[in-house]
Amino acid sequence: MLKMTHLSKVYRTEVVETYALRDFNIDVKEGEFVAVTGPSGSGKTTFLTIAGLLETFTGGEYHLDGIEVSQLNDNARSKIRNEKIGFIFQAFNLIPDLNVFDNVEVPLRYRGMKAPERKERIMGALDRVGLASRAKHYPAELSGGQQQRVAIARALAGSPRLLLADEPTGNLDTQMARGVLELLEEIHREGATIVMVTHDPELAARAQRNVHIIDGQVVDLAEDPRFHTAYTAAAGQIRS
Amino acid sequence: MQIHPIIVALRRHKAGTLLIALQIALTLAIVCNALFIIHQRLSHLSEPSGIDEANLFVVTNLWGEQYSTDEAAAKIQQDLAALRQLPGVDNVTPADSYPLRGGGWDNFITLKPEQVSMTTDASVYTGDEHFLRTLGVKLIAGRDFHADEVQNMGLRQNFVPPVTIISKALADKLYPNGDALGKPFYSMSDKPTTIIGIVERLHRADVSTWSAPYANESLIWPIRMAQPWGVFYIVHTKPGQLDEAMREAPKALYAENRMRMISSKDGVRSFAQIRHLAFESDRGMAVLMSIICVVLLAITGAGIVGLTSFWVGQRRRQIGVRRALGATHRDILHYFLTENFLISLAGVAIGVLLTFGLNLWLVERFEMQFLPLAYVLGGMVILLLLGQGAVFAPALRASRVPPVEATRPA
Repeated sequence: MLKMTHLSKVYRTEVVETYALRDFNIDVKEGEFVAVTGPSGSGKTTFLTIAGLLETFTGGEYHLDGIEVSQLNDNARSKIRNEKIGFIFQAFNLIPDLNVFDNVEVPLRYRGMKAPERKERIMGALDRVGLASRAKHYPAELSGGQQQRVAIARALAGSPRLLLADEPTGNLDTQMARGVLELLEEIHREGATIVMVTHDPELAARAQRNVHIIDGQVVDLAEDPRFHTAYTAAAGQIRS
Repeated sequence: MQIHPIIVALRRHKAGTLLIALQIALTLAIVCNALFIIHQRLSHLSEPSGIDEANLFVVTNLWGEQYSTDEAAAKIQQDLAALRQLPGVDNVTPADSYPLRGGGWDNFITLKPEQVSMTTDASVYTGDEHFLRTLGVKLIAGRDFHADEVQNMGLRQNFVPPVTIISKALADKLYPNGDALGKPFYSMSDKPTTIIGIVERLHRADVSTWSAPYANESLIWPIRMAQPWGVFYIVHTKPGQLDEAMREAPKALYAENRMRMISSKDGVRSFAQIRHLAFESDRGMAVLMSIICVVLLAITGAGIVGLTSFWVGQRRRQIGVRRALGATHRDILHYFLTENFLISLAGVAIGVLLTFGLNLWLVERFEMQFLPLAYVLGGMVILLLLGQGAVFAPALRASRVPPVEATRPA
C-alpha cells in the first residue's frame, strides 16, 4: 500500500543542509495498522506529510497504492489525496465557518460527487462516529473528542485506501483519547490501512506494528533494548 | 460549484462582507449616475449648432461714445460695409447674440394671446436679411427676410415684428402636424407674429442644463439691434480665410472709426473658441465626475484587495486543510473568486436600488433626466469585473498555499 525506498528529504538554506529523512525505508501492507513513533524532531511528521503527498521529497522512491508519486504534478497529487488518503490531524483541522455536515462534505465536493451521494456518505460517516445528530452543529459547539470524531468522519466519508493520523489523540484527555483510539481500531478491523504517527507509547502499543524513527531513519526496536522495554511494558499495561 | 458552503462561511463573517457589499453598492450608485452625467455633458460638447462654425467668427464691438439708435444704426452699416470689403470675408451680419454664446434673450412662447402657461421657451435672435446666409443656417421651408422687413431697435424699445423665422424644433413643438409655416404664435405679447420660414437647426444662445430640453428651439426676428453700448458682428469667411480675416477685421473696423473698443484678448473669437468656452463647465463637470468615478472605483478595488488579503492570511491554515483534502490550485482560486462574486452580487443588488434612489433624488432636486437602464447594467458589469480583478491577486496567493500548511501549528 505504502512503500518508501531510500527516501530522503533535505531542507536547504544558504549555509546548511538538514536531512529530515535519510535513506528512509518503510513498507506498509494493505490492511495494516502501523504506529510510527520517535522522539520530537526525529522526522515523524515529515514522513507523514510526504506519505500524505502534502509535500515532496528530495530523493528515493515512494509508491502509494502501486503508483510512483515522485513525478506526479500538483493536480494529480491533489486527486490522490482526495481519493485515496484520509487525514486525521492532531488539531482536528475542521473549518470553523462550516457546520459538521459541511465539514465532512469538503473532500467529497472536491471529488465532484453528486449531492445525493454526498449526503448519503456524510450521514453514513457521521453515523459511524456517533455524531449524526450533531450534523448542524459548528465545531466550536463540540468537545475536542467530538471534533476529532468529525475529522475521522471526514476522512472516512471518501472511503480512502489509507488513513494517515498525526497524533490523533494529542489534544484530547484520556477518556476522549480512548474513545478515538477505539474508533480507529474498529475502522482497522473493518479492513482499513492506518498509519498513525504518535509519541505516545500506550497508543503505539495498540497498533499492529510499530515503526520507530530516529534522526530521519527507521530503526529496529529490537536492537535498542531501552525502547524495547518501554514499549513492551506499555503494551502489557494496556492489554491487561 | 461551492456556492452553498461559501454563503454559509460568509454568514460567519458578516461585518467584512457587509462592509464590502455596501461599498460596492454605494460605488455603483455614484458611478452609474456620474457616468450618466459625464455622458450627458460630453454629448453636450458635440451638440450641433446648425451654423457653419468652421468659417465663422464674432467681433465684440463696444462703442467708445454714446450713440442714439439712429447713430448706432448708421455706424453699424458703415462697419458692415468695411468688413465686407475684406478679401477673406464672405458675408457679415450684426447681432445682439449668437448660438452657444452662453446667455441671451429667450421668451416664453404661447399659441394663444390669453394663454397663461407657456407652450415652450425659445431663444430669440435678432438679425437682418443677411443673418441666415452669414451663419450658414439651412432654410428648409418658407423664405428669408426681405430687407424692407428689417427694423432698427434701440434702447428701451420693444416690439414684436409681424414676421419671424423659427427653427424646426420650435416649429414641431408649436405645430406637431408639420404645418407651422404661415401660422402665428405669441411671444410675451398680445400681438401675433407669423412664421414665414423654418430653418433646419439653430442652437440656443445659452447652453445651461435647464434649457437642454429646448436646446434647438430658436426664433429670429427681423430686427437690427442698434444699442448705444455696442454690437456683435458675425462674420462668415471664405474657406481657409478664417485666421486671416480674424486678424484683419479689427484693423478694418478701427480704420473706419477709432471710437470703439475691441478687446485684444477676446474681442475676436472663432466659433471653435466660442464652443470651447460655452461648454467649459460641462467639460469641467465631466472631468470632476470622471475623477470621482476613478477614485471611488480605486477605493472599492483597494477595499476588496485589502479584505481578501486579510481573509487569505487569516484562513491560511484552512486553505492548507482544503488542499490536503484534495483541493487543487484552481479550486482555491475559484473559491475566492466565487466568494467575491457573491459579495459583489449582493452589493450590486443593493446598489441598483441605491442607484435609482439617487437618480430619483437628482431628477427631483436638479432636474436631471431619468437614468437609462443601460447605465445600471454597465455599472453592474464594471463593479463585478472590478471585484474579480481586485480579488485575483490575493486569490492567486491563496491558491499557492501548500497543503503541508495543514500540519503546521496554528
